[in-house]
Formats: sequence, structure tokens, C-alpha cells
Amino acid sequence: MASAELAGVTKRYDGGGEVVTALSDVDFAVEPGEFVAVMGPSGSGKSTLLNVLGLLDDPTEGVRYLDGTDVTHLDERGRTLARKEFVGFVFQEFHLIPTLTAVENVALPTMFDSGDDDRAAELLSRFGLEDRLTHRPSELSGGQKQRVAIARALVNEPTLVLADEPTGNLDTETGERILDELRGICAAGVAVVAVTHDPELEAYADRVVRIEDGALA
Amino acid sequence: MSRLAPLGRRLPAVLMARRNLSRHRLRSALACLGICIGVLAIASLGIFGNVLALSADDAIGDIGNQIVITPNADEGVEELTARDVAAIERVAGDAGVAPLKTDGAQLSRGSESTFATVYGIDRPGEVYVADEGRLPDRHRQGAILGADVAETLDADAGSVVTVEGTDLRVVAVLEPTEGFTPAAPDGAVLLPESAFPGTGYDQVIVEADSGAEAAVIAEAIRETLNTREDRVDVFELTAVVEDVEEFFGLLSGFLLGLGAISLVVAGVSILNVMLMSAIERRTEIGVLRAVGVRKREVMATLLVEAGLLGVIGGLVGVVLTALLVAGLYLFSPVDLTVVLDPTNALYLLGAFAFGVLISVVSGLYPAWRAASVPPVEALRE
Repeated sequence: MASAELAGVTKRYDGGGEVVTALSDVDFAVEPGEFVAVMGPSGSGKSTLLNVLGLLDDPTEGVRYLDGTDVTHLDERGRTLARKEFVGFVFQEFHLIPTLTAVENVALPTMFDSGDDDRAAELLSRFGLEDRLTHRPSELSGGQKQRVAIARALVNEPTLVLADEPTGNLDTETGERILDELRGICAAGVAVVAVTHDPELEAYADRVVRIEDGALA
Repeated sequence: MSRLAPLGRRLPAVLMARRNLSRHRLRSALACLGICIGVLAIASLGIFGNVLALSADDAIGDIGNQIVITPNADEGVEELTARDVAAIERVAGDAGVAPLKTDGAQLSRGSESTFATVYGIDRPGEVYVADEGRLPDRHRQGAILGADVAETLDADAGSVVTVEGTDLRVVAVLEPTEGFTPAAPDGAVLLPESAFPGTGYDQVIVEADSGAEAAVIAEAIRETLNTREDRVDVFELTAVVEDVEEFFGLLSGFLLGLGAISLVVAGVSILNVMLMSAIERRTEIGVLRAVGVRKREVMATLLVEAGLLGVIGGLVGVVLTALLVAGLYLFSPVDLTVVLDPTNALYLLGAFAFGVLISVVSGLYPAWRAASVPPVEALRE
């Protein structure tokens, strides 16, 4: 059973008067423990693919599955809960909350439920940040921030981690370290889909998918 | 702030709200200041109005609570009978009823002498309070002096005074009355009924617990005694007192209204601050929503933020009001009992609650707006 699957998914939206087709009849699946790199030029529909996979955006046509369940037509609240249950996000700009410490940022997805700080601290230690637990994002380097972001993506024990240009704001060496970490996540059976320009990423991925004008090549 | 940390751990909305407020300290402080001024305005104006009304109440004294019933000489009624008194006692219920016989007499003690009203009264404790000595349940012997008479004669409880040639021991001296009362005893001496000839009474005083009760009793007395002919005149000032109280009610309402306007203005500044905050944090809130924080949890965080501004501003406002009222007491002739009246605390509490309420209500729209942005849009920016 695939961790996540899109079948015949098309996404159109209104781009200021004209209809833009961001995804066109896309079939895509990622298996547990698999690291898939999605590559393509800007505007090719990479980010839309990630948003539809991660329940941030809904497909116009087609069917979407998460962990074997049809999640095509969930309502607002259902999508939020499903994201919390199944999905972890890593963003290019890290998107850490500046007012929260590293450990609070990691605990954020579960903060309003269990608020498991112990698990958050353990994850940070796993990424070599055990001495940065109470630091604010402004006190961390780019690589450290991205590792905090990866820890946050894992705190809810997701089946799918989605990374949007995870190395985009990092130097080569730091980027490699982050890719190592993402690779390591797969070892635990989590599926990782990373959208990127970065050719480096190809070397780390199990499979590379190319996308152009909303269609998979 | 650090003592709140354990609370924040259990209440993530409080933790996030607190951190967000400390992000723009000056802005938060100014929003608090608005609420503080609003609460100060509404609480202090409310309390000043209340203090005025209470002081007026004190000055008016028993005027509103007492009823004086006298025989109607126009109808040929010369005195009130024991039956009249019994009828009055029936309708008066718990209120004190004191039938009086009235006369005038020359009083003297040593070289001092004065002319005083003489009341023949059986149970003075129903309407009067002793300052010295003790009022007997039934007034059988001796004299009870009004405060002014006692002072003129330089007499205390236990002294002997001469009333119309008869030596009488003073059983008690009455408390001086404050304000105006219909049957003021200050210049009078109270003797047993037996000192007067005949069985009728010249007036009956009824002392009720409140003006409203007095009005009801007065009406009942009119209905009972003046059925066929107007046997009695019933004198009561409850209507006047009601007018005075109504005036102070209006004044209080006006003052509270002024305070409320300033609090609403403060609410607008909270609305503004929260809206700015919600717009600035659009992406951040998008991240919260993306990682699985629910709409209502985002809303709760922003509402707690607005509420915290209200609570902090309100508390400072309450403290400032307390200081202001203390100043009023120190620098004006207002009584301590009036200042410490429990109804004043009600105004403080009410102003605080209203301040917090205004803040939370002002936070509603910004919170709803922030929580309603689809995360995919918020993250695109």
C-alpha cells in the first residue's frame, strides 16, 4: 500500500481571468521508506503537486489517497486533522515560529493536544541539536533551523514527509547534511517527497520524477 | 512572566499569546494603556457617582423611611385612638411603630433651664436609639432626653432633671439625629404615656427599613384608616426622596456612559493592534495551520492575546482607580463608610470585567480573519 497516491489528478485555478492548469492528469505514488525527488523548472507545478499531496490544496479532478484512505473530499477540519495525523512539512524558508524555542517549534504540531516536549527534545538530539533546545530561531544557523524544521515534520510520527526545496537556502555542505537526514528518515519507513532544483538531490533519491507544465514526464 | 511558564505548558494558547505580546512590547503596552484608561474612567466615574448618591442618602437620613400619622383636625378628629394605632401596627408589619402624645414643658437642672417638646411614648426603642444609658422596652418611669436638651442641661444618664416641677431621673440620652427626620427628638424629652392624661395619641411615627417600604405602608395606612372619612393625615417624603434618588441614578448612568465610551475607544485600539498583528503574522499562522493546528486553536490564541491585553490594562486601571478613590477620601469630606461601601467594589469589578469583555470582543474579528486564511495562500507569500 502506497503512503500517498494521486490518480488522474488535475488542478486548475483562476489566475487573474484565465484558467491556469497547474497539474494535468497526474498519476503519482510513493511507497513507505521511499525517497522521491520531484524536479522541474519554476512554474512547472512542483509546489502544487506537493500541496495537493499534503492536503493543503484540493485537486480539481482525480482521486487522492493517504495511507490507503481516500482523502479527496475531506472538509477543512478533516484536512487539518489528516495533516496532523499523516503529514510532515519541511519548507525552503524553514518557517519556524520566531517567538518559540527550538523545542517548542518542534512540538508545535502536537502542542494543542499532548504537547510532547520530551519527544521534541529527543528528535532534536537525534539531529545533533541537544544543546540548542531553548534557543530561538534567530539564534540558530540556517542548517540548524532546517534540522529543527525536519524534527518538527517528524514529531507527529507521519507516514509522509513533504519537503519543498529543503536545501534551497543552504550552502552545499549544509545541504548535503540535510539530505543525509532526510535519507535517514526513510530508513524508519517514512515516505519522503522532496521538490527541488538541486541536482545534488538526485544522488540521494531512490527515484527521480520530472515534471513539466503540470505533467509528469 | 516566568511564573506563568508552567501554565503556558498546559495552555499553549496562553504561551503563544504571551510570546506574541512581548514581541512588540511598546505596541502591546499602548493597547493596554487604552484599556487601562477606559477601565479607570468607567470605574472612577461610576464610583464617584455612587459616592455622591450614598452621601446624599446619608444626608437625607431617615426622611425617606419615616411616616408620621396625625389626626385630621379638619374632619374633627382630635386624637388617634388605640384602635387606630392597632390598625397601623397591623399594616406596618415589621416596621417600628411608636404612638406619641405631644406637649410642651419647662425643664430645669440646677441653674440651667430650657423649654422642650414632651413626647409621651410607651416603646421608644421602636424608633429611637440611645447614645447613653439603655432604652427600656416599656417606658414606665423617668425621662429620656434628646441630645440637644441633654447638652443644654448638661445632663447625663443618671442625672435628675425637673420637668414642670417634678424631679425625674434621666434613664437615657438619645443619639443626635443626622440629617432631617420628621419627628426629630433632639430638642425633646420622652416621658412615659402615664404622664399624660387621656387615652388618645397626637401622632404615630412609623419607621420602615427603606423608602420603598415606607411608601407601601403609607398607602396601606391611608386605605385602612381613611376609608369613609379622612381620619388621618399621613406625612411621608418618599416621593421627594424617590425624585432625589432618580436624579442620582441618572447622574450615575451619565457618568458610566462617559466611561463606557472611552472603553469602547480602547476596544477599537485593541482591534487595530490585533488586526496589524494578524496581518503581520499571516505566514506564521499559515505554518501553524499547515502543520495541523486547527482553526479554532489559532482563534483561541489570538483571543487570549486580546484578552491578556484587557486583563493587564484592566488590572492597572483597577489599581489606579483604588488610588484615586483613596485620594478622594483623603482630600474631600467624604465619609470612610461611603468610600468603603461594597457597591463601590462592584463598580471596580464591573469595569474590569467590561474592559476584558471589550478586549475579547475586539479580538474576535482579527482572530477570525487570521484563522480563516487558507494555509496554502498564506505560505505562498
